[in-house]
Amino acid sequence: MTLWRTVNVGLAAVIMIIGISTAVWAGNVRQSLAQESAIETIQKKQILRVGFSTFKPWAMKDKNGEFIGFEIDVAKRLAEDMGVKVRFIPTKWDGIIPALLTGKFDIIIGGMGITPKRNLKVNFSDPYEFTGMSIIASKSAANGKTSLKDFNTTATKVSVRLGTTAEKAAKNFLPNAKILKFSDEAASIQELLNGKVDCLIASNPLPTNLAQKYPEKLYLPLKNDFTKEPIGFAVRKGDPDFLNYLNNWIKVTNSEGWLESRFNYWFNTKEWESQVE
Amino acid sequence: MYNMQKRVTSLDILLLVVIIGALSALSYHLVTKLNYHWNWSVIPNYIYRYDQVTGHIKAGQLTQGLLVTLRLSVWSILFALIIGTIMGIFRVSPRPLFRMISSTYVGIIRNIPPLVLIFIFYFFIADQLMSLTGITDLSYSMEDKDFPLLTFLCGPIEQLPAFLSGVLTMSLFEGAYITEIVRAGIEAVPKEQWEASKALGFNRTKQLTNIILPQAFSQSLPTLAGQFISTIKDSSIVSVISIQELTFAGQELMSATYRTFEIWSVVIILYFLLTFPCSIAVRALEKRMNRHKQG
Repeated sequence: MTLWRTVNVGLAAVIMIIGISTAVWAGNVRQSLAQESAIETIQKKQILRVGFSTFKPWAMKDKNGEFIGFEIDVAKRLAEDMGVKVRFIPTKWDGIIPALLTGKFDIIIGGMGITPKRNLKVNFSDPYEFTGMSIIASKSAANGKTSLKDFNTTATKVSVRLGTTAEKAAKNFLPNAKILKFSDEAASIQELLNGKVDCLIASNPLPTNLAQKYPEKLYLPLKNDFTKEPIGFAVRKGDPDFLNYLNNWIKVTNSEGWLESRFNYWFNTKEWESQVE
Repeated sequence: MYNMQKRVTSLDILLLVVIIGALSALSYHLVTKLNYHWNWSVIPNYIYRYDQVTGHIKAGQLTQGLLVTLRLSVWSILFALIIGTIMGIFRVSPRPLFRMISSTYVGIIRNIPPLVLIFIFYFFIADQLMSLTGITDLSYSMEDKDFPLLTFLCGPIEQLPAFLSGVLTMSLFEGAYITEIVRAGIEAVPKEQWEASKALGFNRTKQLTNIILPQAFSQSLPTLAGQFISTIKDSSIVSVISIQELTFAGQELMSATYRTFEIWSVVIILYFLLTFPCSIAVRALEKRMNRHKQG
């Protein structure tokens, strides 16, 4: 009988130990989750690292080599409100999500449209701005076409920037057209100016600006944007604390009207143009 | 000999005229037919700019990129030389394990496209190394002005982790090519040198350091210098991992200004200004060494 009792007591002890350690472990998980939050590391290092890609007028370098743009204003204000310094890390658009995931920076503030596919890899905050896609067409290649239907033919060539939501919009709205993808915007614009493609799809204000810059070659076939896309901050998965902070930060700055006024300055005025060129 | 005489025939002149004609026709077409507003006025600003706050002339964005390219190339070739020498010695080692290590290294690196290698290495290995060694954390607490020497050698501190990852990747990549150059250099040293030094009682390490390697290096110096030029050119690949060197700086400017052709032209000229003097130096070096051989 002593053997039986020893086994019983042993089993009970093991179960108790497992039970207690699970409870402790669960508590630890919550604690370590909070500790590993980007919020904590940002506070500890006193620096907010922001990833973005140069994209006019979201973010670009001015004549003095300083970063300016809508997203730069947003990032500076965010860092200021967190009480830390900001460090800008310009990154190629096609590698920006892997760079976030491998910890090159804490957050993408780069006009990134919220899409379900991207959302599988990163977490998005609530949208802090909306942008719309627009079409700009070449007068020589696509004369007289004034609706999406006119462009949706097999003979139409559309240029877009690779990996952007413009690529998605082109696929959805012009399924019959041939889509040419370029890794940077300048090349796709040049293709349009050369008349090699009929039209270019990009988020505003680029099409509007192009139409003003090259009135003899380009025109805007549609009066309004044909999509409205939510733009959010992208952060790594598994960090509810940071996400909560960002969502509330957006609510606060929105209620102040600050986001809207900055958006208007960069997207609807040209006052900043002289700083760049 | 008659054929060796330097003379200009009428055919040569005709060919020259045809070539010049074709080139000017092409450039005329580029300037007039291409739908592009050429505007060079903004370019000098990107080479140098006048800082109104301090009143000094400062490096423009492209010049800054050029400096990063230069730093990147010099550091990469330095480390590549170290890796290449060790692996090159391994390659001719009598011990099979060392030979295997070295040939695996060379085999892997040389058979992967550099672009793929750089992506994999940068995202999966270099970054972990930077975090493990604490360099990433360290760079947050440092300011440019407190470490002028480091800033001079490695560029702005805020770009330091990325810069070091770039150097590491480049040196590993170039190291494989230098391994082969060093191996060829060692193998080119006559067998008698090995035998004679052995007869004089040198052990293998002394044989290598005192007899073989000096000869091997002096013979492969032009090839090594050529590899340095390659490194400068290859460094443009690391723009994909957002190291802010010349190509990246150019592409950033293009995204901001859409002045594609002007900026690419300037970038080409800047690369050329960097590599052409190196080419001339290599040629002079080769000439001098050949003279030494004949003499």
